[in-house]
Amino acid sequence: MTTLAVKDLTVSYRMRERPVTAVDGVSFYLDNKKSLGIVGESGCGKSTLGLAILRSVFGGRIDSGEILLDGKPLMEMQESEFSREFRWKKIAMVFQGAMNALDPVFSIRQQFEEVLNVHDGGSDSQITIKNTIASVGLEEGVLDMFPHELSGGMKQRVVIAMALLLRPVLVIADEPTTALDVLVQAQILELLKSLKTGGMSLVLISHDLGIIAEVSDMVGIMYAGRMVEFGAVTEIYSRPMHPYTQALLRLTPKIRGESNLVTLEGYPPSPSNLPKGCRFYDRCSQAMEKCRSDPPIIKTKTGYVECWLYEIEK
Amino acid sequence: MDGKPKPVDEILIVKNLKKSFEKKGFFHKKETIRAVDNVSFSVIKGQTFVLAGESGSGKTTIARLILGAIEPDSGEIIFDGISLDGRLQSINKVRRNCQMIYQDPYSAIDPRMKVVDIVREPLDIHGIGRPSERQSLVLDALRDVSLDPDEIASKYPHMLSGGQRQRVAIARAITTKPKMIIADEPVSMLDVSIRVGVLELMSKLQQRHGISFLYITHDLSTARYVGHVIAILYRGSIVEMGEINNVIKRPLHPYTQALINSIPDPYPGNHQGEKKFRINRTEESGSDKGCRFRTRCPYATEKCLEEPELEKVEEGRFVACFFRWN
Repeated sequence: MTTLAVKDLTVSYRMRERPVTAVDGVSFYLDNKKSLGIVGESGCGKSTLGLAILRSVFGGRIDSGEILLDGKPLMEMQESEFSREFRWKKIAMVFQGAMNALDPVFSIRQQFEEVLNVHDGGSDSQITIKNTIASVGLEEGVLDMFPHELSGGMKQRVVIAMALLLRPVLVIADEPTTALDVLVQAQILELLKSLKTGGMSLVLISHDLGIIAEVSDMVGIMYAGRMVEFGAVTEIYSRPMHPYTQALLRLTPKIRGESNLVTLEGYPPSPSNLPKGCRFYDRCSQAMEKCRSDPPIIKTKTGYVECWLYEIEK
Repeated sequence: MDGKPKPVDEILIVKNLKKSFEKKGFFHKKETIRAVDNVSFSVIKGQTFVLAGESGSGKTTIARLILGAIEPDSGEIIFDGISLDGRLQSINKVRRNCQMIYQDPYSAIDPRMKVVDIVREPLDIHGIGRPSERQSLVLDALRDVSLDPDEIASKYPHMLSGGQRQRVAIARAITTKPKMIIADEPVSMLDVSIRVGVLELMSKLQQRHGISFLYITHDLSTARYVGHVIAILYRGSIVEMGEINNVIKRPLHPYTQALINSIPDPYPGNHQGEKKFRINRTEESGSDKGCRFRTRCPYATEKCLEEPELEKVEEGRFVACFFRWN
């Protein structure tokens, strides 16, 4: 069953002169108890997409598109209803760098209680807190500690626990392992994987294809605000179709296998000054004349790819 | 260590280096932390030596010791044939010939200086070349890192991208024509697409100018692309050292094995099912005696209460473990 469906979502930020579109017509779906990885370079709209699902794009707005959670349209809802019934209750987020945003003057327990009070977490809040901290693999004693007493890995677990407090159906994790050591990272990834068996769905935002391969079932590749390829991880990693996906996979450092370096010249276009047609045109080794007009969306076995190269196969 | 090559081949020799810090607290009693404990290694001219480990393993402390930013408790550092004894003369010689590239290109360069001045500053400090010549040395350095001087020289750092900033930082490091560069996580804050370019640039500079690198990182998968020799640090001690591909393909120390095992690879087929951690969860070191990795090691025995020495197990390969044959 589909937990999350996003259709044609467009999000823009108001800048001084004119609005800048950070996410442009993105569509994907995510099944129950599955995980979707969203990958791309900095500034391609990954985090904005995550925030948009939570209807919390600060300084920007959702221009158009649909977001369905368990079939319920979220965009048509009043903010008060969304805030009461969905934000954090059904959809929670582990923000990028959130482990550094824990309040230093409150104990972990107090910070958990605050979340439960704000969102009306029910009467047995102490039991909820105990169960949640156990579910992320921490001792109960951590609850009465303060953020400065915890290591980076423990803080990240606390932040994940905060997202899990109200048993949401969907968790969005934005770069949850950046700045963590590999051994700690591996433990956090293990924890994220275990959320799926606990009945949750997971959107994992990362720039690291290795991490996505480990946790996710589906993957969406973002480039300059567009999702240029979407499909099953096994499918896309073994047979990447979009030239950008191919380049990303070749660029990703690997601990095993061949060790030659491949470069991708240039930078993604600035979202305030997008070229016409395919946005990857300038960096693409297989660019053709017709790539100057908007590429078609081609259906693949498990998703889609947005590229002129595959038009004939249609 | 036995079987060392002739001294002329080495740009840097570190012998039995030790440094401990005292942790003072309001409520806690004083605690001594052995940040660097009996570390010995040498960097061969024109090669890249990788110092790898988790945060807190003492990687950056070693770099600071080499550059004379802090003084060691004991041990010896020999740079280009000169022993560092804390005298200003020797420190200046090292600082001129051994430059550093930092992790964060956003805070490593002065936001109020133009690129040309940032790159020129080391020349002024070390009095290299006549002032009139310095301008052209700066432009050479910028070209060397594949930046267009006309386009970039008069810009300020905020006008540059992350990759360009890191190139400016590298240009600044190479203007003094150093013999060695210490690179502390130089690509970990850059996007994947830019990362490869910076790594390639480092290899190119090495080939062109014969610069040796001491590459400090926690990321073994990128280290593999630039390194020749690797040393794995754990809590201030080297636990394994050897030719890099050899170590990565056939890690002998349980810590190295766990480290390599936990690196995510972009092949989904490798990740089906649960991942096996050959490492215990305990994070506390407990006693300071014996093998530092003991409490997390799945193979630990009584024997590990003694401290293992870094011993040669085969040509160019050193391991500090009693059970390296596993």
